[in-house]
Amino acid sequence: MISLLLISPLILLAALGAVWKARPVHAALLLALALALVAVLYLSVGADFIGLVQFMVYVGGVAILIVFALLITRPGDEAEEVARRPRSLALGFACVAPVLGMLLYAFSQGLPLSTADEANPALPVQALGMELFENSVPAVLAVGVLLTAVLIGAALFARDPGTKPEPPASR
Amino acid sequence: MRLPAWIALLVGAFPTLGLAQTVQQPLVTGESLPRLPQRLVEMGLQAVKAPDWLVALGSFVTAAAVVVAVFLTAFALLSLIERKTLARVQNRLGPNRAGYFGILQPVADGIKMLTKEDIVPTKAEWFLHLLAPILIVIPSILALGVIPYGREWVPVPLELGIVFFFAVGTMTELAVFIAGWASGSKFPMLGAMRAISQMISYELPLMISALSVVMLSGTLTLTGIVNAQAGFHLGFLPAWNILTPWGLVAGIVFFIAAIAESNRCPFDLPEGESEIVAGHMTEYSGFKYALFFMGEYLGLFAISGLGITLFLGGWQAPLPGLDWVPSWIWFFGKLAVVIFVFLWIRATFPRVRIDQLMRFAWLCLIPVSLLTLPVAAIWHYAGQGALGWLLCAVPLLIPCILITVFFNRRLAPATRRYHFAE
Repeated sequence: MISLLLISPLILLAALGAVWKARPVHAALLLALALALVAVLYLSVGADFIGLVQFMVYVGGVAILIVFALLITRPGDEAEEVARRPRSLALGFACVAPVLGMLLYAFSQGLPLSTADEANPALPVQALGMELFENSVPAVLAVGVLLTAVLIGAALFARDPGTKPEPPASR
Repeated sequence: MRLPAWIALLVGAFPTLGLAQTVQQPLVTGESLPRLPQRLVEMGLQAVKAPDWLVALGSFVTAAAVVVAVFLTAFALLSLIERKTLARVQNRLGPNRAGYFGILQPVADGIKMLTKEDIVPTKAEWFLHLLAPILIVIPSILALGVIPYGREWVPVPLELGIVFFFAVGTMTELAVFIAGWASGSKFPMLGAMRAISQMISYELPLMISALSVVMLSGTLTLTGIVNAQAGFHLGFLPAWNILTPWGLVAGIVFFIAAIAESNRCPFDLPEGESEIVAGHMTEYSGFKYALFFMGEYLGLFAISGLGITLFLGGWQAPLPGLDWVPSWIWFFGKLAVVIFVFLWIRATFPRVRIDQLMRFAWLCLIPVSLLTLPVAAIWHYAGQGALGWLLCAVPLLIPCILITVFFNRRLAPATRRYHFAE
């Protein structure tokens, strides 16, 4: 509980900073900080596996992905970015509001908080793996197929239709 | 003249250590020698009736201090040994001014680094510029903390040791990006881009080849993985993972990826001196520059230590009947051998080009490492003997040969034509 009270304001601050910063790199780094702090929150309540995976996937994967996208794209004009802010904020809030409403409704019903096992909050990794790869195999496979399709689709979109792929250099 | 003295010293030292173990004193044996400071702190705190959390804290801090002290000493020594070895290979003398055999060179380097001016470029963002070297060193030290160095010397015995190792390792990439971006200059940015793309690409074979070991050991605990490699086949062949068909391939892939992951020659493109000055470290000087080097070498120790734990049997003795030697001596012996092989590779191979680097990762290492997963399953079910070797060798050898032939014919370093020179 203490760790929740200590860490969640930091997460909120980092997330707000990520939204507010005009320079995209600062925003990306603050987002990475917020995600890392979420991992710290998981670790502090004893959910080691989910905490470490959160760190690996979000700090090592997603944040790097965002940063890499920033590196290979042209930076926008900062003043223009600031001028466009009210509109983008309104748009973002319109997207997030339904999710937030659902979450708040769920919290008000006491769903996620009451199901936690107070005595033994952390699930052993082995049980987690068994659940995922024995009982939920169809779901995992479906997600895998979906992600592969998304990957292929993204590659097709990203390909420039005008140019042919360069043949490998000959000897 | 010198050699017999060394042999005498070694011959004398080993029985002494063995004796210390057979006496079985409660405080210190050869096996628990590295844990002596930790125990002393625990006993001291308990003697003054300190609360439990303070005892635990003191114990952990001392364990961490021992690891940091050992590996910073090793870092200083390695920086000298590396230069001496490279010099030997290249037929020159290497550092020989400071002290006998250049033994004080690390001290001289340290003084030089500390007294140099700390330059922050005007275009740099000073906070991120300061943060990057710190963020580079932290994950390396954290990763060193979970490796089992000996039977009784595991600084932090985590249940999810290997997951922790890779999770903190991912922080390095972000730190390299921060270093490159915050410097506000061209070469650091290019170096950071190279470094990130290289580290992302080589992290995949690294993790996949580690996965096959986890699969067959059935545990994510590093101590459990070492224990799974105990014993000997045929009475003399250690049951290490590298001596199985899938482990041989996965181990080779792991060590190649480890060289690339720690940005060393022949994969040192991120800091290729003759191309982009020093990559993401270009705008750093003084102690911050030293921190980058420290992070690189500590990361090298950590990833070699993980490779030893996964494939070379960790602290297990290489021959039966050698169990009386403290197990951490075996670990550090193996570490020395692995590091020497890395130095040898650095001295021998030329730096690869960036497109060759990427092709090598995506077309060679990742398919081969993926192949080790089903082969490890075959090994598990085919009973780990001659039949297992036969059944595993076929599905391993054919794709490996095919990839090699394909690689040589189509994608090998082709003669590059520079059309300006024609």
